[in-house]
Parts: sequence; C-alpha cells; structure tokens
Amino acid sequence: MRADLAIAWAIARKDALSEVRGRQAVGSTLFFAALVLLLFGFALGPDSRRLAEAAPGLLWLAIVFGGLLTVARLHQLETEDGALDELARYPIERRAIYVGKAVAGGAAMLVLGAVLLPVGAILYGLDLVAAGLALPLTLLLGAIGFAAAGTFYAGVTVRMRAREVMLPLLMLPVVAPLLLAGVKATGAALAGDPFGELAAWLQLLFAFDLVMLVAGAAGYGYLLEE
Amino acid sequence: MRSRVLGLVALLVLVIAAVNALFVVPSDLNQGDAQRLMYVHVPSAWLAYLSFGVTALAGLGYLWKRDLRLDAVAVSAAEIGVMFTAFAIWAGMMWGQPVWGVFWQWEDPRLTTTALLLALYVGYLLFRRLTDDPHRRAARAAVVGLVSAVDIPIVHFSVEWWRGLHQTATFLSPDTILNPPAPVPFRIALMSMIAAFTLVWAWLMIRRYQLARADMELEERARRSRVAAARHVAIAATPAEEAGR
Amino acid sequence: MSDWGFVAAGWGVVLGGLGLYAVTLLRRLASARAALADATPAAGAVGEPARDTE
Repeated sequence: MRADLAIAWAIARKDALSEVRGRQAVGSTLFFAALVLLLFGFALGPDSRRLAEAAPGLLWLAIVFGGLLTVARLHQLETEDGALDELARYPIERRAIYVGKAVAGGAAMLVLGAVLLPVGAILYGLDLVAAGLALPLTLLLGAIGFAAAGTFYAGVTVRMRAREVMLPLLMLPVVAPLLLAGVKATGAALAGDPFGELAAWLQLLFAFDLVMLVAGAAGYGYLLEE
Repeated sequence: MRSRVLGLVALLVLVIAAVNALFVVPSDLNQGDAQRLMYVHVPSAWLAYLSFGVTALAGLGYLWKRDLRLDAVAVSAAEIGVMFTAFAIWAGMMWGQPVWGVFWQWEDPRLTTTALLLALYVGYLLFRRLTDDPHRRAARAAVVGLVSAVDIPIVHFSVEWWRGLHQTATFLSPDTILNPPAPVPFRIALMSMIAAFTLVWAWLMIRRYQLARADMELEERARRSRVAAARHVAIAATPAEEAGR
Repeated sequence: MSDWGFVAAGWGVVLGGLGLYAVTLLRRLASARAALADATPAAGAVGEPARDTE
C-alpha cells in the first residue's frame, strides 16, 4: 500500500512539474477557456440578466472544454517518448499510475476553475463572495470528478486513431451528470441556496467522484496490460 | 433450427400483441389514441437497457475469461441495443408531441437518460471500430462499456433530481407518460408487447452473435494468411540461410 | 397531424426498422457464411473451424 502511494505521488509530481515547465500549453488552454466564456457572451448577450442566469451553465461548459484539452495533454507527455509503455512494464499497481495522473489532472482542473471563476464573475456580473465556501467546494468536487473520468478516457484513447475526437465523444455523455450537478450547485450557491438544494447537488457530485475514481482505477489497469 | 422456431414464435406473438395494442385495446381517456405509442416506447426502452446490461456484463466476462466469444456477445448486444434506444427515443417523441405539444421535454427524466444512453452506445460502437487487434479491442471495449454502465445510475438520479428539485406543476407534466394508466386491458397489452419485443430481441441476439462469430473467423483467417504470406516472403528472401539450417 | 398520424409514425418506424434490421442481418450472415465456405484454410491452419449449430 505504501509503495502504491509513493508511486502515485511520484507520478503526480512528475506530471505537475511537466505542467509547470510546459507553461505555454497550460497558458494556452486557460486562455482558450476564457475565450469560450467571452464568446458565450456574444452568443447569448447583450442582455446582462439573461447572461447572469445562464452564467453557471456557461462557466461549467468552459471548464469542460478546457478540461478536455487538459486531460488530453497530460497523457500526451507519456506517449511522445514511450514512457507510458515503460511504466506499464513494471508489475506495480497500475492503479497507482491512475491515481497519480488523476491527482495531477484534478490540480490542473482546479487551476482552470480558479482562473475561470473571476473571469466569469466579471463578464457576467456575478457576486462570488456572497456565494461563500460552497463555490470552491463545488469546483473542487467537479475538478476531481472530471479528472477521474478524464484520466481514464485519456488512457483509453491514448494510442488510437482519431483520438482528438474520440476523447470528447466518449467523455461528454459520461460527465453529463457532473455538468448538471455542478451547474445546479453553482447556481444555488450564487443565489444563496433559496430552495435548500445545494446539499443534494454536492452529494451527487461526491457520488460521481467516488464512482468514477473506483471505476477508472479498475479499468485503467486493464488498459496498460496490452 | 431452434432459432428459426424462435423467430417464427416471436413474429407470431408480435403480430398478435401489435394488433391488440393498436386496434383492440380501448384508447386512453386523457391521452386518446396517442397513448398507444406507450406500447412501443416502453418495450423498446426496456430492451435498450437490457442490451446495455448484457454488453457490460459480457465485457466483464471477457476481462475475466479472455474468451473472444464473450466479446462477440458484447458487440451484438451493443448493435441491437443502439437500435432499440433509437426506437425508444423516436416513439417517445411521437408520443410527446400530441400529449405535451412538444417533441422534446427536458423535464422527462426517461427521455433525457435514454438520449445519453444513445450517445454512450454510439460512442462504444465507434470506439470499437478504431482498434484492429481482436483482443485489444475486446479489452478496451469491455472497459469502456463498464464505465459507461456504472455511469447510468448516476445519470438516472441526476436527471430525476433535476426535475424533482425544480418542481413545476404545470400542465406539461411528464407524469402523464411516466405513470401509465393501470386498467387491466392496458396492462395486458403492455405486458404482451414487452414479451413480444423480448422474443424478437432474443432471436436478433442469436443471429447477430452468429454473424459476430463468422466475422471473427473471417478475421482470423485473413490474419493467418497474412502471416503465412509474410513467412513465404521471408523464406524466399533468404534461401541460403534456410538451406544451411 | 392527428393523433393517429403520430401513432403511425411511431409504430411504423419501430416495426419497419425491426423488419429492415432483421432482413439485413440475415443477409449479412448469409454472405459471411458464404465467404467462410469459399475461403480455403490458410497454410498451417489446424483443422476445421467450429461451426455454429442453430
């Protein structure tokens, strides 16, 4: 068990360091996601009230699009120099590899969300402070869930033809509940939870995270066995 | 021979059940004749979910036993399942328009869940096409199928809550479709259509599985003749070393 | 469109689709089996492949 954790941590650190070193790729993704938020403004505006109402949905869509690029990028590193094959050769826990990559992915998603929230607040006139801690918590749960699913599907599509389209094609239906719950929770948090539904949505996010982490870890093991 | 009998029985039961559902059973008090669409929508949805379960379980079985025949079951169930899913959505839409006034209703959890099911199925089938090696394809497909399968309950709950936590007691309530009428003739009609469709499904599964096995065999032969041809080329290219052995 | 129009559209597509799928499936199966019967076994093949019984 301790060896697994050490492996997972080592991989998470390695991926995180690659992200920091590859700042340009990270920065481009962040910029792209912010651009998506801007473009939504052109698509749905200029009525600010309509935009404010739609804001949670738009925010999460931007997070999802940025997230797709992020998880794809995290797996790109390994394939380029065959490192994934190297890792798979060792009879160590492939689950540990999955966990490490999912942690790195979750951290990257958190950064993405942390950047997009203020941008969204400015563009759509949102009061982030009034939402309190519920908003970062929602973001955290969403980041974990997306990274859990994304790490798995990126691993699945890593050496395929047409992988650029297969990753979103496979992932988007699966993360629909995360999107739904994230949007609802964000909307409730921003509005001060008038119907008392925030807890339910956070529970759903938590359940999603759990299921995806377990299923993803289990499935990932079979992938590297090829 | 047995599958031929099954096919004929299925056809017979289907004809009887269909005639009953369309012409014999009285129309609904509230929904009128449009309600007859329930008799194709519900059975299709049932088989869509059953097929999905079979795909996931067959995949799990493959991961355990590494028997490609289980993968043949999985792909058969997926292909048939995507068809029934499409039917369920279509019948749901045809039912929705006269009853709700719209083809699509976001507040109907079954419709939205089934739409996601269709997306998952299509993704699964497209994904399969991109891998050529049979065992690799089977393993990858199994894993994708399983993760999709565990997602379905979460989708179900999230879409239910989506509607429930956001109560709008309007005339456009999906309850008219979700809670079908209970009088006995209606229930008999529904049950018989479900039975008929399930028999048809079973027959289709057997035939599709036979096709999958035939395809497997054809693939294997093509692979073997490629290997043999490569060997011939190699042997012809190095006659001296071969003779020296 | 009257209610019966929708019923016809719904039922028609479903039953028609089932029939179409069944027919094409039988055709695909027949052509696959024909291809198997035609093809000579590759060199080094071990015996006859198992035939599916109906």
